[in-house]
Amino acid sequence: MTTTTLRQGLRLDGATLLKLGVLALVGVLIAAPLLRIVLDTLSPGAIVAWSEVTTGRLSRNLLWVPLGNTLILGVGVACGCVLIGGFLAWLVVMTDVPFRRTIGLMATLPFMIPSFATALAWGSLFRNSRVGGQSGFLEGLGLAIPDWLSWGMVPTLIVLIAHYYSLAFTVIAAALATVNSDLVEAAQIAGAKRSRILFGIVLPVALPAVVAGASLTFAGAVSNFAAPALLGLPVRMQTMATRLFGLIEVGQTARGYVVAILLIAISALFLWAGNAVVSGRRSYATITGKGGRAKRFVLGAARTPLFLLAALVCLLTTVVPVVILIASSLAPSSSALFSNWTLHYWTGASNPSFAQGQPGIFSNPFILSGTGMTLALGASVAVTTTLAGLLVAFVLARHGRGPLAGAINQLSFLPLLVPGIAFGAAYIALFGAPIGPFPALYGTFPLLVLAATAYLMPFAVQTGRAVIQQVSGDLDESARMTGASFPRRLAAITVPLASRGLAAGALIVFVKIMRDLSLVVLLFTPTTPLLSVLAYRYASEGFGQFANAITVVILVISIAATLLANRLQTKSQPWLKS
Amino acid sequence: MIRLENLGKSFGSFDAVKEVSLDVPRGAFLVLVGPSGCGKSTMLRMLAGLETPSAGRIVFGEHTVSDGGQGWTIDPSRRNVGLVFQSYALWPHMTVAGNVDWPLKVKGLGKAERRQRIEEVLRLLGIDGLAGRYPNEISGGQQQRVAIARMIAPRPGILLFDEPLSNLDAKLRVEMRTELLRVHRATGATSVYVTHDQVEAMTMASHVAVLNNGRVEQFGPPAELVANPATAFVATFVGTPPANLVPVAALPEALAAGLPAEASAMYRPEELGIVAAPGPDSLAFDFAEASPVAGRTMVTGTSGDRRLTAVVDGAPALAVGDTVHFRLPPRPAVVFAASGERLK
Repeated sequence: MTTTTLRQGLRLDGATLLKLGVLALVGVLIAAPLLRIVLDTLSPGAIVAWSEVTTGRLSRNLLWVPLGNTLILGVGVACGCVLIGGFLAWLVVMTDVPFRRTIGLMATLPFMIPSFATALAWGSLFRNSRVGGQSGFLEGLGLAIPDWLSWGMVPTLIVLIAHYYSLAFTVIAAALATVNSDLVEAAQIAGAKRSRILFGIVLPVALPAVVAGASLTFAGAVSNFAAPALLGLPVRMQTMATRLFGLIEVGQTARGYVVAILLIAISALFLWAGNAVVSGRRSYATITGKGGRAKRFVLGAARTPLFLLAALVCLLTTVVPVVILIASSLAPSSSALFSNWTLHYWTGASNPSFAQGQPGIFSNPFILSGTGMTLALGASVAVTTTLAGLLVAFVLARHGRGPLAGAINQLSFLPLLVPGIAFGAAYIALFGAPIGPFPALYGTFPLLVLAATAYLMPFAVQTGRAVIQQVSGDLDESARMTGASFPRRLAAITVPLASRGLAAGALIVFVKIMRDLSLVVLLFTPTTPLLSVLAYRYASEGFGQFANAITVVILVISIAATLLANRLQTKSQPWLKS
Repeated sequence: MIRLENLGKSFGSFDAVKEVSLDVPRGAFLVLVGPSGCGKSTMLRMLAGLETPSAGRIVFGEHTVSDGGQGWTIDPSRRNVGLVFQSYALWPHMTVAGNVDWPLKVKGLGKAERRQRIEEVLRLLGIDGLAGRYPNEISGGQQQRVAIARMIAPRPGILLFDEPLSNLDAKLRVEMRTELLRVHRATGATSVYVTHDQVEAMTMASHVAVLNNGRVEQFGPPAELVANPATAFVATFVGTPPANLVPVAALPEALAAGLPAEASAMYRPEELGIVAAPGPDSLAFDFAEASPVAGRTMVTGTSGDRRLTAVVDGAPALAVGDTVHFRLPPRPAVVFAASGERLK
């Protein structure tokens, strides 16, 4: 009697200790920086920043104009993405359009191309001579490119839509795939016309996905740094992300932190609102899985035109930017993308008559060390996030009750609401100065690892959960029934089952780090060069070819890793099933 | 009321339904029964107008509604049919009342009339308390009732059911059988019901069509199928328990005399007896299972892949591993040729 209570007591303590440990981990990684950035702006010397930013003489330039631009971008991108992504999803999932699988695959690709790559490609094509430097390919052909198409809001919108629509596509396609064709046939029998079925049945059932797609793309657009920085900053179009970057770059950290907090608030507000619309009594989960078959809308005469439209969208957002980037990394002048190709920007030695003596990227020791640093960061973060995610997921799966677990759960998904650049700012706030006996981490590799681990925690916990769900429970218990020992079960059941999922998750983390710019752009220092930031720096200094060459390197590495991850995962894409 | 003439449906080179002809009167409860893949759901979908036949005609009353020869079919909404899907196909974003209401709205009924009709059908199905709930907030049996209410609300002349009870547990299934028959009677409509469960077919149908490989093996009232099975497939598919089929070659010599060597003999379970010791009219099987059935005992024996079932009074206590001796009656009830056709 006493021994059992004692044991229970001990076990309970063990679990609580474990939970406290994990809570401390996510607390330091996620909560502390965010708390610190808030506290910093509330300190006596800095609290004035709030009024300066929101009501002061400069508030129009510091906050309100960037806020307006940010909201225009958010709303515009969300609408554009839902329209394009939704159209493609409908085409692929519900109609008899030819080459559905190919379109379905192509539509998921743009999200794998970093947004700065698309923005650079846009610049190579459309830039005009307004801000000096090289002009783009189209102007080289003799076309007059108006300013609004070269710089500012319109190109930023287009680039962001081209980047984020695949997010909306994925979410909406997955939802449409669950719209049982029985639902449509039941409406047909009721005598409803096609349009009535679309507006009365299909759209309402898909509404949660549409809302989710809209709020995700909205949050993506408002926190995106690369596109507005590359296409908007040259004509002084500021968004909150670029403003925040600028303020911290020039040392006005308190004001920068205020902007960061407001940016987090906006992004979180819209994600929360989207969630609130979707949840509630009308859970749209389709009822019972049995029966039901896929019957496709017959497009008839519209089949070919719609296919061509979809193919055009897919080509313009995947193949075309990549081709332009490659061509422009080889062409001395972006106004003549396909002539006088040279490998100078890749391998050439420093030559004072060429690009102000910049050597090709493979001959530039700084870029070579940047490549090594980026790969090392990707690999380290892949390992740390996978471990952290597994640990958190394990604790939540085993001891998922009580306030401690609730806090762990909430905290580990918090970074979803925080734009990368604001998260970077929070890390500077916390680790920019020494804490007690610990030295300041700013400018060190560990800081990058910590920030990236925290930032990718939600993704890692999800991967961990999936893996644990796959492995624990019946499978492990049935192995236990055979009398297999723990190490034996680990070797024969757990590891083989879990390894693919974990490896795929780790690879995706690697890719996310490779192509991330917004998180690391503030944490970058010359001692920690990273490829994406180098590409951004080159581009903003007018060395487009070098930027594009570096971007091509990033693309090649991340596409290879993504393909490998997909192979490992044999990713399920229910909407591609016939 | 419903007449099928040489109905056929092919998907590419696969013939799902072949030359089906049958005719049922107004108010009939027609059950299409058969193993999975026999073409019964395809037939139902053709009746609903969701598929166009590739051959033959479907006639409702006086009107041809589908003509496979000419490749046309009247739109589902103008055939005066209602369909309950196997998945129920309840629209998840509408309440129970909303689900029933929508088809009426599409039909263009006035508000007051709709409200009255909704109330009426919900009460008929005993779910008037659930009007404001969403489909995911009610149980499987209740969802089933909503699906039926939604179907009958616009008063279709023909009710179609696609395995509607297959998602319910055993007890609920029995309840819903009664419920469905009550609705069928209350509406006075002609019903067509698809199932793979012969018990459902036998208990509910006024007419049964047994389908196998896309063909109708036999069409008639339930009692007729059990009493006079037309093919070996029907004999072993219907009845609780189904009849036994024994190849003539496996019969005791005394009983095999006079029967064609390639044929199979059918014995009804209630005509078999169990004896303690082998005799000239008995067959030895390995005992498999025994269960009490309404005061009698159902005993099953196996021998290789053959099964024999007898329903007897007071069976001896047997255990797995024992041999059980079935005594056969002097004459089989029916004899089937090797092809499955009935011989006499």
